[in-house]
Amino acid sequence: MTDREDRLRSLLDKVRAKRPEERETHAAEALERLRTASGTVAAAPSSIPAERPSAPSQAAEPTPFPSAFPTQLPSSPLSDPPTSPTRDSPTRYSSQPPRVERPLSVEPRARSGRPASGPPVVPPRSRRPESIRPQSVAPTGQPIVYATDQPEFPRPKTFGELLELTLSLRPR
Amino acid sequence: MHDGRFDPSGFYEFNLTGGTVRTRNGERVVVLSEDVLSSLVAAAARDGDLTPLRRLGELLGQQVLGSLDRPASVLSAEAVLGHVSAVTSLFGWGRLTFERWGSALVVALRDAPDLDEDELGAAALLGGMFSEISQRQVSCVPTGESKFIMVDFEVAETVWGWFKDGADLPAIVGMLETKRAS
Repeated sequence: MTDREDRLRSLLDKVRAKRPEERETHAAEALERLRTASGTVAAAPSSIPAERPSAPSQAAEPTPFPSAFPTQLPSSPLSDPPTSPTRDSPTRYSSQPPRVERPLSVEPRARSGRPASGPPVVPPRSRRPESIRPQSVAPTGQPIVYATDQPEFPRPKTFGELLELTLSLRPR
Repeated sequence: MHDGRFDPSGFYEFNLTGGTVRTRNGERVVVLSEDVLSSLVAAAARDGDLTPLRRLGELLGQQVLGSLDRPASVLSAEAVLGHVSAVTSLFGWGRLTFERWGSALVVALRDAPDLDEDELGAAALLGGMFSEISQRQVSCVPTGESKFIMVDFEVAETVWGWFKDGADLPAIVGMLETKRAS
């Protein structure tokens, strides 16, 4: 304590020599706190902001901002950043279940090589949902001879056939 | 031989020295005005005897058969129509076409000579021609608007009665049905 008092006294003398009346009161108060209390040196900086004349008043009464937007973000969930992946997903407003819609909308976009400027790409799943998986087109056990048969087109009737048809007409 | 189409070249042979006109098949024909022919046909229709016109139709049918390389019964309707319409035009009987109304085969004869009101003269001519072509007894019954339905001669009177009672072609076709001969 003695050493500190000595250093403070010397500093006080220096201050007094430079600024005789202005700093005298504040330095004396600081010296008095060091004497009476068991305060540390760290206690001195905590009081420095209180000495600033304008900062506390600005925080208590902010100047009205001309803009209509709020200066502080509300605590409501609606104010989340619009770039949030979970809220910007196409499945947000879709009536379809997300697990069905994502593979259909994301996978073709990834194949086309377009830049990833759109919504975040969902990693492709190993298996599509059962409801949209394409059905197998493999040949079944049925014979395919039906597809190889030549289609039979109706042969145009000859004049004799048309004549036979019209001559066979009778009153009902 | 030929490509199946009717060749009208040299169809008539005019002998100015002998004063005759013959077809290339040898039949002698006489050129008549429409007014004279109309009077003759009207008189025949009143008497109920249209045999001369039916005979004229048979001559036209022979001309058609002479121009075909195969029997008409095995040819397509379009091929037969080409020859029939050509011969009909060469004799000045108008433009002939075919129409199908369900199972019925209908002959339309446009711009034919105005012979009689009921078109019985044209009906006799067509009946004789198609009977000769098909080698069967065919009747062409008038159904209005220069259209004639081809039916068996046994039902011709019945169909003619329907038309005289006011039935048009669609109604007549609706009153007929196909019955196979037993």
